[in-house]
Amino acid sequence: MTKRIKIKDISQNPDQKMLNITSEELVPLPPPYDKPVKETPICSLTKEQEDKYECSLDGVVAIGIPKPKSKEEEEKLVNSFLKGLKKLLSKENNWTFLQPLMLSLEYCGKCLSCSQECPIYLASGKQEIYRPNYRAEVLRRIIKKYLKKGGIFSKFSDGDIELNWATIARLAELSYRCTICRRCAQSCTRGVDNGLITHELRKLFSQEMGISAKEIHELGTVQQLKTGASTGLTPKAFKGIVQFMEEEIEEKTGKKTKIPVDKQGADILLIHNSGEYMSWLENPEAFAIILEAAGMNWTLSSELAGYEGTNYGVWYDDVQFSRIALKQIEVARKLGVKKIVVGECGHSHKAITVIADRILTKETYIPRESFLPVLEDIVSSGKLKLDPKRNDFPVTLHDPCNMVRLMGIVEPQRRILRKICPQFREMEPHGVNNYCCGGGSGFAIMHSMNFPDWRVNVAGRMKLKQILEVFKDVSDPAIKKYVCAPCSNCKGALRDLLSYYNVWEKSGILYGGLVELVVNAMTDIKQPFIEWEWR
Amino acid sequence: MAKIVRMPIHLRWELYPVPHEKGYKYGGSYLEELEWWTKPREKSRMRSILFLIKKYLSFSEYFRRNRSYWFGLYPWHIGFYLIVFFHILSFFGALLIATTGLAIIPESTNILGSIIYYLTVIVAVTSFILGTVGSIGLLIKRTADPDLRAYATPINYFNYLFFLVVFLSGFFAWLFVDPTLASYREFWVNLITLKYAAVEPATYTHIMLFSLFLIYLPFTRSTHYITKIIAFFKVRWDDTPNLPGSSMESKIKKVLSQPVGWSGPHIRSGKKWSENATSNTEGK
Repeated sequence: MTKRIKIKDISQNPDQKMLNITSEELVPLPPPYDKPVKETPICSLTKEQEDKYECSLDGVVAIGIPKPKSKEEEEKLVNSFLKGLKKLLSKENNWTFLQPLMLSLEYCGKCLSCSQECPIYLASGKQEIYRPNYRAEVLRRIIKKYLKKGGIFSKFSDGDIELNWATIARLAELSYRCTICRRCAQSCTRGVDNGLITHELRKLFSQEMGISAKEIHELGTVQQLKTGASTGLTPKAFKGIVQFMEEEIEEKTGKKTKIPVDKQGADILLIHNSGEYMSWLENPEAFAIILEAAGMNWTLSSELAGYEGTNYGVWYDDVQFSRIALKQIEVARKLGVKKIVVGECGHSHKAITVIADRILTKETYIPRESFLPVLEDIVSSGKLKLDPKRNDFPVTLHDPCNMVRLMGIVEPQRRILRKICPQFREMEPHGVNNYCCGGGSGFAIMHSMNFPDWRVNVAGRMKLKQILEVFKDVSDPAIKKYVCAPCSNCKGALRDLLSYYNVWEKSGILYGGLVELVVNAMTDIKQPFIEWEWR
Repeated sequence: MAKIVRMPIHLRWELYPVPHEKGYKYGGSYLEELEWWTKPREKSRMRSILFLIKKYLSFSEYFRRNRSYWFGLYPWHIGFYLIVFFHILSFFGALLIATTGLAIIPESTNILGSIIYYLTVIVAVTSFILGTVGSIGLLIKRTADPDLRAYATPINYFNYLFFLVVFLSGFFAWLFVDPTLASYREFWVNLITLKYAAVEPATYTHIMLFSLFLIYLPFTRSTHYITKIIAFFKVRWDDTPNLPGSSMESKIKKVLSQPVGWSGPHIRSGKKWSENATSNTEGK
């Protein structure tokens, strides 16, 4: 039996891994996925990587913090962390989340009910360090001992912990072992939100210490502010892609379509995750086909930040978040559109419609909404001629956490699917109780060292289990099945997850968006829009 | 707690289902509606209040998700509610005795006297039994369950034991000394009328322990009874949109004019939030 990990172990034995993930301990998957894909689920780091980066949490590197070279450097980093922690708890520096944070830090009853709701904790075989309350409890103890200086009474009332570089380095990595899906928070009767504590920890590391995942900060928000998109897509390249989309739409549908770009005074500015343009072009194409067929007055933007809906700041940094949100809004206001409509991207939805809501003033305000009510209105209006028989294959719906649990947009997508997919079926649990795809909070785009192994083996495991279970009565790979995931990041996570386990070959399960299903059902398009091939 | 109440406006961080929303049964929100900002909001504040009251009384989330814990937690909390109610009843009864001369006995000529008598006994005995069962149950659960034990601190055990002593002392006094619980009313009558008269030592001990319990309570996490209201109404269910010209907008303007003190390399430390948010460069 492995040794039980205690809270204070986070500061002990800095050269040893706290956890070694093995296949045997992971939650089992149904056949034919019950045998491990690889002997060791997480590939080991090279000696060079181990020497260079902090990896003593679980042998996985998500953010790659370089190891300090001296005791002095360690001490400096510990002090910087404490300074940041003070700021995190001050209303001057953290008005954005101070009240929710304090409520979550002060009033946990430690009943651990939240653990049973966490897909990562469950998938890992209930590993202590992944328990939603573990990192929160470490932080609480640090605050009580080092900031509030409770002395002996603090040990008695709040428990003990030692703050050293190992604690901080592991805590930083640990803040990237939670997808901030906030399923744990739903279960808390006191309103404690361990997902928020993860968010705030990431923020402390980024806003004070400059520590964050490279894909989210340097290649994400920084690149987006500089070049226009987190994918590196420039305005010029974007215009080229739009032209290509028009050609491809004509090829696929036989219809000549002019996609409006930078149309002044349009009703709608549609913003997609730029990942769609790079990996799933059929998605923005389907949007264009639908909106044109429905006679909508809409436009895309080729302005810097206007063709990119992502806002990775929402996962780790309030300042970067605000910069991007205001840029996107500025583009819309310049175009004079009536509203921004967000395409199939969950975190873009939450970022611009919900979180950005309270950084806007009269000068920066513009209405923002999800594409889902717009699409439902089009589908139910009869403007499109739809034949559900064209979608007569098993379809299930993945609920992106950001749209569903965190925004309450639950039914429009279901009403559309019930109308156009005769074999639509629900996963269990679904709706606001769904499981995250495993790619939430930036995981879908993080590819550092062996982190992708961890993502497909642990973070996405419960989702894979759900998908396999919902299609268990049609498991024959000859029966083609469709996981509708109306979110770009979720699609990215599903692509890697299904590909790692060869699910397309073994079970005939494909993933894709919602608008593709709508276009696939349109009777005036001769060829099926959905191409049943892995991509 | 007052500090938490006074904290500034924060960014939205709601979590569905939100009971005041029309589609709360499946977790829906007003964001499901096309151009929601053009429509009047249908919001039932009463449903949220009733939802929370139901949670306070049933602890149904624990029952659903963590049943073995619920078996200790539920009697414990109901024991708390009832013990407070019992002492309020005793005080109220004493007040009536002192001011109206009401006889609080089973065969009272005034029906109110009989009602208060029986109610006091039922409430007190139920609270003593449930509180004792809950304290012992939670003590066992917290000690026997290795996961819970790992997160427990000495204060948790102290609390279970202290609260157990409070409930047991009441139970002991009722069982062996004062089955009618009249001496509690007598104690209050003496206090109200400023007369000194000795009450039973067992009763007196319970009153002292209960008083200590009331003094100690604000120093424990039991204030979650109140902070939970903030956590739900001001965070989890706070989906109030910010519309131009609203009072919220002026609060936002205020916080946006605060300086940012973070030291990260991409931040313009010392500049206002609004200046940071509109800067295009990497903090420079």
